[in-house]
Amino acid sequence: MPKLICQHTLKLNCSFPWLICVLVNLLALNTHAQTIPPVPKQVSLSADLSVKELTISWFGGAASTFDLIILRTEFNTSVFYDTISATINQASGRHEWKWTSAEPLECTSLSVRIRSRDGLATSEWSKINTFRGRDLPSINTLQMYPQDRVVEVGSNMTFCCIVEEGKTFKEMLYGNTIMNVTRLSRRSYATTLVNVEPTGVSGSNIVCRLKDLSLTGAVMFVGYPPLPSDFVCETQDLKSAECHWKEARDSHLTGERRRTRYSVNSRNCNVDSQLTCRLPLWDGNWTLMAENSLGHYSLSDSAELIHRVRPVAPVNLSSIANAWNATVIWQWTYESYFTLDLNCQVESTNHESKTLHVFSGVGLRSVKLSGLHPDQAYTVRVRCGDQKYFWKWGDWSQTFSFKTQTDVPDPPDVWMWMNKDRTGLVVWKPLDYQQSHGRVTGFEVTLWNPEDVEQHTQILPPNTYSVQVNLTEMASLGVNKKVFATVVVKNIKGASPPSRVPLRFIDEQPLVLSKPVFTNNGFFLFWQQNATNTCNYLVEWLDTSCEHDCPVKWIRVAAGSTNVSIESENFKPGVRYNFSLYSCPSDSPQLIKRWQGYTQELVPSRSVPLSVKSQDSKVVITWGEIPLSDRRGFVLGYNVYISNGSELALLANLSSSEMRRYVVKGLSVGNYKFTVKSYTSAGEDTGSTASITLEPFTDALILEMLGALGTITILLIIVTFICYKKRNWVKKAFYPDIPEPKLPGDWSRLQGPLDVRPSPHSMVHIVEKPERDFNKETLVVIPEEEEYFEKDEPVDTDEPMSLRYYNQVVDDRPIRPRFPGSSASSASSLDSGHTDVTYTGIQTSGSSLVFQPDPQGSSEEQPPEVVRYDGGYKPQMHPKVLSDDVVLKSSNPFQESEAASSVGYKPQCSWHLDSPTDTAETGSLAPSLGSPTSVASTQFLLPDGDGDEKNKQQPSSAAATWFSNLLLSSKP
Amino acid sequence: MADRRTRSMKSSNLSRTAVNRASMIALQLQGESSKLLELYRQKESFPADVTDGRLVSVPPPSSQLDTRDKLWRLHSALLQTQSLLERAITKEEEELGGGIKGEYENQRKTVKGRLSFLLLTTGNLLKAVDGAASLTPSLEGLELDGPTTLFQLKLWLLQVFSEVHHWSRAAVTTLQELLTNAADKQSSTTRVRSTRSARR
Repeated sequence: MPKLICQHTLKLNCSFPWLICVLVNLLALNTHAQTIPPVPKQVSLSADLSVKELTISWFGGAASTFDLIILRTEFNTSVFYDTISATINQASGRHEWKWTSAEPLECTSLSVRIRSRDGLATSEWSKINTFRGRDLPSINTLQMYPQDRVVEVGSNMTFCCIVEEGKTFKEMLYGNTIMNVTRLSRRSYATTLVNVEPTGVSGSNIVCRLKDLSLTGAVMFVGYPPLPSDFVCETQDLKSAECHWKEARDSHLTGERRRTRYSVNSRNCNVDSQLTCRLPLWDGNWTLMAENSLGHYSLSDSAELIHRVRPVAPVNLSSIANAWNATVIWQWTYESYFTLDLNCQVESTNHESKTLHVFSGVGLRSVKLSGLHPDQAYTVRVRCGDQKYFWKWGDWSQTFSFKTQTDVPDPPDVWMWMNKDRTGLVVWKPLDYQQSHGRVTGFEVTLWNPEDVEQHTQILPPNTYSVQVNLTEMASLGVNKKVFATVVVKNIKGASPPSRVPLRFIDEQPLVLSKPVFTNNGFFLFWQQNATNTCNYLVEWLDTSCEHDCPVKWIRVAAGSTNVSIESENFKPGVRYNFSLYSCPSDSPQLIKRWQGYTQELVPSRSVPLSVKSQDSKVVITWGEIPLSDRRGFVLGYNVYISNGSELALLANLSSSEMRRYVVKGLSVGNYKFTVKSYTSAGEDTGSTASITLEPFTDALILEMLGALGTITILLIIVTFICYKKRNWVKKAFYPDIPEPKLPGDWSRLQGPLDVRPSPHSMVHIVEKPERDFNKETLVVIPEEEEYFEKDEPVDTDEPMSLRYYNQVVDDRPIRPRFPGSSASSASSLDSGHTDVTYTGIQTSGSSLVFQPDPQGSSEEQPPEVVRYDGGYKPQMHPKVLSDDVVLKSSNPFQESEAASSVGYKPQCSWHLDSPTDTAETGSLAPSLGSPTSVASTQFLLPDGDGDEKNKQQPSSAAATWFSNLLLSSKP
Repeated sequence: MADRRTRSMKSSNLSRTAVNRASMIALQLQGESSKLLELYRQKESFPADVTDGRLVSVPPPSSQLDTRDKLWRLHSALLQTQSLLERAITKEEEELGGGIKGEYENQRKTVKGRLSFLLLTTGNLLKAVDGAASLTPSLEGLELDGPTTLFQLKLWLLQVFSEVHHWSRAAVTTLQELLTNAADKQSSTTRVRSTRSARR
């Protein structure tokens, strides 16, 4: 507060300044009195708890601006502090201001203070004014606020819980959710729900629990304001109005106090589940008002009465029924309907089949229903609408039932089955309720011939649908005469028109049996249109396996049709059905087409009858057909298996049902099991198995052996013949002539050995095998001259000059180079079947021997020594001087000495024909038979000298040259 | 005391079959009321440990009570329970009902019907024991003073359903006892008869 201080000094001498000072002081006092607004007085608080609104009123003088502070009394925390502009209530003269609390006002006490403000100048604060909450110590109960509150979806809501003195708060729950809590005072706790969602039937609970498990709570309903739609008013009695509407959404506000209340033109409407309101008079304009705790909504409608007529339901229905039609009569509740142009629907129901008939007329009260069937019960109901200004169909009347009168039956549907022996069945279908026209009392079947007068009639009871006929017993009907059967149905009203069928055995069998297509809708049959045929068709079907008095089924097809679908509940899977299409079934049935098919093919139920037999070395498997009833499908073929232990190995797949034989070849002796399985499109049957044991076939064996021997004999004869014819060539090739030496003198008397000189192409070096017998002479191969290598002559040649002698004794092993005295050489010699002579290199070129000199003993290292061939073999045809440089040097001095001392070989000029038997005499030489000594040489190298040596050599050579001798002996 | 005895009890033998039948009905009611309680707790998200007080008042159980008194006590309690249940259903429909017929509403209807049937059966047993005794239900003390808020109403409904369950269990126990006593009595009677015939 501004204060002006002035010293009041009264001096006469200074009157002017004093005067100024007084004036300033007065001015200051005056200013001070104007800037300090008055303190608000008589502050009072009033609350509207339902809306959490606190109204504060006070006397504030002329001030219009106030500072307001609201505190939670107990904790002295501020919840509001602001400068407000309050208006003066003209009636009371008090300033008034409303404050809305976030929390319910019951939660805790609030203290209010106000001061006036005038610009920057403010008055003193008013005295504290307290609005008492429910958490006062005097109210010591467990409480929850607010209670039973209804709020709109999406609102925020704060609840508080005031616990009892001395009790401890535990938690607050919304449903099963524990909420965050704010403490408002010592005993008060609050929680806020944000953006609340619609609640269920009985609202949502907010529960406050204490530590001692005691609890309190509040129920909250969250929903929507009303939203009606489709509000219309109409009339039924042509006088009053009945208004209807719908609710576009659920308000979610349940309970009598919260439900939406409706009024039309300010008249309350008691609605339950039907949102309808009745008004006694037709106002022409209507306003619907819907209201609930969260708001209200209104809708309007207006219309003329004649445009909104929804007729009432006809009453007191009755009928006048005939056999084929009936008149239905009804009455109207209101006489005003007699002049109303009406459009009416009559719904008739017969055997769950409904038919709607429509009629129109002024004040319509009766209609005639046609198209009914005799002896049938009908149920009818009627409803009408305004014909001129149709608004809505009226309500359906109560149903009314009546029964039509009886009439004579329709003619029956008759067909026949004839056996080959002129017996058969006349069959007809049961008449349904639309055909019998009353209870059937019996049937009358007549057999007759158009040419004769005589008829055979049988009376049959009801529920008979076939009769057996035997045309052979009816003499008058004759064998070749045309016979008809006529069937008449009788009921209480009379007899039906007759139905006839010609009795004739139709034995035609079409060439081709088609397979019909079966779908869920049945067998689909189609055929070509025959332009000449003007009759109806009849499709007959039966189990194919049936042959006598078969229970046929049939269906009639209109002329000109080309397809039909056959449906029957009696079709069974695995059963083959015959479908036959006949034309003109009532006069002269002609078979047009026939089908065979299955609804579903199955695997055969029986296996084939199987037999197996052996035929020579083959096995012939044959089997028979499966009976038709057991096939259960079209047999597509057979699988032939052979049992391989526990498994079956497929031998053959015969993809034709006609092939029922299979031959298995190439089986050896033993026991075999064969299985044959037929198969349909559904798969294989279990199969039939038969076994057979194959015995050894001795005759064939002998024949085979004889055949083989004969073949060998013929071959030998051919070879012998060829050899004989080509003996010259053979001789040249294998046994060239050795020219006889031409001696100048008489050599015949000489007893000594011939001085045979070795061929210049071959050098034979007789060696001794020291391991065995050092006294024995051995032939040692001498390497050929280099010139022969250079000549590169062919290895094999037919010319005797180049005939090569080689050792064949050592099996097939490659010829190894041998050197006199080398252990390898010796070993090889040992292998040669005790042959002491190694003929390698005799008259051969060096290339044929693959013979390499020992490097150690090569001519490069040691000077070649001249070997003297004193006793060597010298073919006389090609005398040639051995050059020095082709002499093989022997490293074995012993052999050398032996060679030197050798007297050489002499040709066996006068040898005798040997036979292998001769070798037996010298057992020690037997192993030499077939030894390499049998090389195809007719020249035998006989050691010169004693008889022992001859004996040793001769047997081997004799054995080897036995065939050569044979050739020689045949030399011309 | 909620019921008045209009005629003094007199001894009479109970049919074992009738008691057994009543026991079976009580057993059924026990299961059905248990399910109703469970459905209600689920519907209202009430914690399982909500404390509940007794609404039905009958004399305390005592071993001194004979068959007639036991039956009378049980019947009286069931009568009060039925009255409470009917009022609870009406009140709930009025204050909270939305016209919806769900599982809870169907179970409530089943329990109401079963309780009526059990009452009829126990009434017949009581008649068999006590002649033409009739019990007139008195609703004194059962007036709904407290539930001024919807939450209190809901708690009261919970209490009513708990009472139904409690007294259905009590009915099972009482009727089983009666059944046992009847069996014991029959065997002792047979024994006495056989002893007498042996003496003769």
